This record gives sequence, C-alpha cells and structure tokens, in this order.
Amino acid sequence: MNPDVIEAIPRLVERGILPAERAPLLLRAARRELVSVRLELRLLLYLGVLLVTGGVGLLIKENLDRIGPVVIASALGLAAAAALAWVWRTAPPFSWERVPSPGLAFDYVLLLGVLLAAADLAYVEARFTPLGPNWPWHLLLVSLFAAAMAVRFDSRIVFSLALATFAAWRGVSVAHFGAGLLDTRDDLVRWNAIGCGVLFVVLGLVLARAGRKAHFEPAAVHLGCLLVLGGLASGLGDRGWAGWAAALLLAGAGLAAWAYGTRRFPLFAYGVLGGYLGLTRFVFEGVEALGCFWIAFTSILMILGLVAVQRRMREPHR
Amino acid sequence: MRADAARADRNAAIRGAARSWRRAGAIDGATLAAIEAEVPDDRVRVGPVFRVLLFVFTLIAITAAFGFVAMFFGADEEQGVGWLALFWGIALAVATEVQTGPLRRAQGGTEAGTSFAMLCFLQGGTAWLLFDFGNLTPDGGTLAFFFGLGAVLCAAAAWRWGFPLYAAAAMAWLLLALAVAPQGRLLWIAVPLALAPVLLRLSDSPRLPPAHRASCAAALVVGLAGLYLAVHYGSVESRWVEAMGGRVPLLEIPVGAVTEFLSRVGTALVPPAFLALGLWRRRRLLLLLGLAAGAASLATWYLQAAPAPLWVFLGVCGLVTLAAALAVRRLLDAAPDKERWGFTAEPLFDDPEAGERLEAAASVVTLTPEARAAQEPGFKGGGGEFGGGGASGSW
Repeated sequence: MNPDVIEAIPRLVERGILPAERAPLLLRAARRELVSVRLELRLLLYLGVLLVTGGVGLLIKENLDRIGPVVIASALGLAAAAALAWVWRTAPPFSWERVPSPGLAFDYVLLLGVLLAAADLAYVEARFTPLGPNWPWHLLLVSLFAAAMAVRFDSRIVFSLALATFAAWRGVSVAHFGAGLLDTRDDLVRWNAIGCGVLFVVLGLVLARAGRKAHFEPAAVHLGCLLVLGGLASGLGDRGWAGWAAALLLAGAGLAAWAYGTRRFPLFAYGVLGGYLGLTRFVFEGVEALGCFWIAFTSILMILGLVAVQRRMREPHR
Repeated sequence: MRADAARADRNAAIRGAARSWRRAGAIDGATLAAIEAEVPDDRVRVGPVFRVLLFVFTLIAITAAFGFVAMFFGADEEQGVGWLALFWGIALAVATEVQTGPLRRAQGGTEAGTSFAMLCFLQGGTAWLLFDFGNLTPDGGTLAFFFGLGAVLCAAAAWRWGFPLYAAAAMAWLLLALAVAPQGRLLWIAVPLALAPVLLRLSDSPRLPPAHRASCAAALVVGLAGLYLAVHYGSVESRWVEAMGGRVPLLEIPVGAVTEFLSRVGTALVPPAFLALGLWRRRRLLLLLGLAAGAASLATWYLQAAPAPLWVFLGVCGLVTLAAALAVRRLLDAAPDKERWGFTAEPLFDDPEAGERLEAAASVVTLTPEARAAQEPGFKGGGGEFGGGGASGSW
C-alpha cells in the first residue's frame, strides 16, 4: 500500500493533471486491491527449468550403466523435441524486430528445450565420441544452436546463454560471475577472454547498426566489455603486470569516454572501475608506502569527478 | 528523519509511481511532467549506476583515509586504533547528517557510504576495544552488549536517515542479542510474533514517510525469517541459534522428542502460514518469503527422509513448480478482467525490462556450462564435460 500515492491521486485528478478515467486502476494498485504476481510466476517458471535440467543431469550421471546410452539419448532428444515443437507451434512469425512473447511460459519452455537439446548433444558426444579429439567443439555447436533459437524466437535469455557457451568453448568460464577468470594465470585463457569480449562487442554493435535484433545488443556489449576488462585485470598479478595495467587503464578510460558520449551508464561504471584499477596498480608498485594516501586522495577526486560527470550525463533516478 | 526529508521522500514516492505509470503506458509524457511539477523534488539525487559508483568510492576513500590518519598519528597500538575508529565513526555520523540536512542529498550514494562506514567503524571500534584491548571474552554479557549496540545503532540510522537496509540489520542484531538469553530460541519465536502485527500495520501507516514504512517491512521480513529459523528442524537439531548466542555447553545436550516433533511441525507449517499471510494481505514480500521458506522446508524433508533418488526429487519438484506456475497463471487469466481475489498475472506497473535483464544475467551465471580446458594434453576418450547449455557436471 502506498498512502502517499492514494492521497495524491484524487488531488491530481481534481487539478486536471491526471485523467479521471485512469484514476480507479491506479488507486486500486496503490491500495493493494489489485496486485500483479507476474514477477513471482516468472521466478517460479525459471526455478522449474533449473530444477528439471538439474534432475536430468543427475539422471544421466547416476543411471548411465543401468538405463543404457541409446535410451538416455533418445529420451533427452524426445523431451527437447517436444518442448521445441510446442515453441515452434506457439511462436509468432519471425521478425528482425522485437517480437512480443505469446505467453508467460514461452521463454521458459524455449529455454528448457534448448538446455535439454544441449544436454543430449553433450551426452551423445561424450558417449559415442563422433567428434573424436575435437570433442570441445560440441560447445560451439550448442552455442550456434542456441543463437539460432534465440534469433528465431526472439529470446534474450537464450541469446545470453549462446554467448556464454561460446566463451566456454574458448575455455573462458563466465559461470559464478566470472570469478575464475580473475584467478587465471593462463595466458591462453586470458587472450581467449579478450578475444571473445571484442567479438561480442563487435557483434552487438553490428546488430544494432544493421537494425537486426538490435535489442540483443546490450547483452552482447555488456558481456563483451566484462570479458575484456576481466581478461586484462587477470594479468595484474603477473610478473609482466605493467603491460596489462596499461592496457586496462586505456581500455577502461576508452570505454568510459565512449559510454559517456552514448549515455550508457553501466558501461561507464565498468570503464571507470577498470581504469581506476589499472592506474592504482602502477601507484602501488611505485610508492607502496603511500598507498593509503593515494587511494584516499584519488577516491575523493573520483567522487568529485563523478558528481560533475553525473550532472552532465543526467542519469534518470529511480 | 527531518521534516523536509520526509516531505521530499513522500514526493519522491509519488514521482516514482508516476514514472511506473508512464512506463506501463497508463499516462503520457505530458501528464508525467505535470505530476513532477506538482510534487517537486528538492533533493540532490543520482541514478542507480552513479549511486553505486559514488557509494563504492566513498567507502574506499573513508577506509583509506582512516588508514592514512592512523599511520600519520602513529595510532598503531590496539587501544589507539579502537578509539580512532570510534572517533571516525562519530565524524562520519556528522558527515551523513550534513549531507542529508543542509546539502539535501538523498539516494546520492555518498550519504549511504558515510552512514554505512559509520556503522562499521562504531561497531568495529567497540569490538576492538572490548575483545582485543579490553581482553574480554565473547561470553553472554559482552556478546549481548555488542549485539544490542549493533541493533541500537542500526535502528537509529534507519530512523534518522531512512535506510530500510539498516532496519533489516537492526532486526538481525536484535535476534543475535536475543540468542544470548537462556531462552534464546523461544525469544526468536516470541519477539517476531509480537512485533509482526505492529510492523505490518506500520509498514502501511500514512503517518510514516515511505522510507520508514519500507524500513518496517524490511524489519518484518528479517524477523519472520528469524522465526522460521528458530522452528526449523535443522536449526533445532544443530542448535544453530544457541551456537550464535555463544552458548556452547548447550550444544552437547540432545534434543528432546517433543521439541523435535514441534520443530518438524513448525518446519512444515510456517511456510504455508507465510504464504497465507502474503495472500491475505496481498504482500509480495511475504509471498516471496513463503516460497523461499517452502523450498527450504522441502529440501530439509528430502535430506531427512530421502524418499527417492535426488534426480527424481529435482525432476518432480521442477515439473510441479512449472505446472503450479502455469496453473496459477491460467486461473488468473480465466477470471473476468484477468483478476481473481485481487491478484493478476498481467504486468500492471512493473518494469518488464528490469526483470528480463535480471533473468539474462542469472542464466549466464547459473546455466552456463563449465569451460573446456584451454590447453588439453590430447584427446582422452570417454571423458568430457556434460552440459552444453545447462547442466554441467563432469562425469
């Protein structure tokens, strides 16, 4: 219940600010006489998909010998096909623009179908090894399949999954908030992360510029920027840290400047934090004793700078 | 809370509601502008991203400046650091007061940073002086004082500056202080039960500004979560509440049959009670709390009884969850005007974009397969990573 809004609505109607025909619905919502549980239902659907896929994973793991590979592969394939067939039948016609979802369950059944198909493919690959020594390529196949499904059925959730699976194919895990990336001491993983990041950013920008699934752009650009900055930051603890710190400083500053120009607030935050981290690494190496002074002084400068920038960018507050 | 801040908070609630109406297409841009002119905002606010950045850098600056001052004045002895932390905390309280008062800051990040750091420094300084310099052992009296101090400080900060998070923290500290008492577990049940009706009423009271109403709701949720923990079978069995209160000798005493039975009943009945209360009062927070508690109770039941293999349990739970969500949606959609008992599955004035962004982020974090090893020594037949787009167990 929102007593302030309840009190304000009649006043706004009386003063001619709020159309009278709108008032009853707004009042009912403010009085909590009408409550939407859409968010809760979506949460339940998402949890349901998580539980089912988790159960399927365990089913295969625990009953591998008892049930037999053909039965498992067929059952998984059938379940995935059933889910995707329902999606296919229910889906609105294809469009490169944003397509409204035909129902609350649509996105989640699609997600379930893609996950089951991915599990089936992984199982078949591991059991029958059709790809031989190139078995990790099944992750690329899953990524491409998920991307195709995402584009056809206009699902940003599945598109994000496709990007993350592509990164996994290159050895970069974005699970657990990418914590593993920051701990890596493996140059190949680091370069793969940076490469994937750049690729995702370019993909996002191309989609936006071409006007084809332009609403997928934020997912690609955000994940891309995080991978690039995370990859660069993972080098700060290495012996040759200076190059990584310089690159992080430049990339962060560049990202912040670009985001400032395009009013992309979260990207601005990534850039500022990345650039600050890179700069601070240099200072700690040079005059470690003055670390506290440096951090206190520069943090205050950052606060003043952010306040000034905020006034220019005018991020809407919620 | 200052009168001017409370007035600004009420105006901000109306402006926030108007923006959600605009997002849902219930009003046009001109109407939104007219409403915003009618309820002006005299506070200095920033958007969510800048708020987080300013909060983070404020915390960094305060902590680093504390370290610098401690080094400069040579306060390296334990007592010196403790007193300096207390002085720092008081200075931060003044800084927060200046920001929320003369500087008229609200939702600005920096005042949240200074107030949060204030709580940490006052609490940390007290702990330092009590347990380290004072050589006091963390037993009943000192623990109760320490937890009680946390409750008072957080409650005062929530009341003065209107941060609901501090109200939630105050309730958590209060529960910890109660855990020290001989009948701690009973108090964990009795106190939330006694406070719940009051907090429920206050969270809707027109006499309170929105920040205080939200604070009451936050304290209510933490209190009820504490109640659930107190009756939960696992917590009774492991003497979790008693351990929190530092009453170690009690951990050795076996749980009685009556207590065990009551805890089983409580574990089963409290989640539906939360759900019923949420449905009756149409409170989404209570509904979510009921769902979370229900999931915890179900998991506890499985761990205790293990009636079937885990994959069956997960699969059945998943299918039941999916079916329940779809059934509720169908039930609501089938009703006249798509609403039944005051509930609807239509979005009303929620921000659908925000939900979708969260889901996309969650799917990347939870459903992504494990990465392959970047450098493989060569193919090893029969190995590999199960999962693809979802499950990720190695086998």
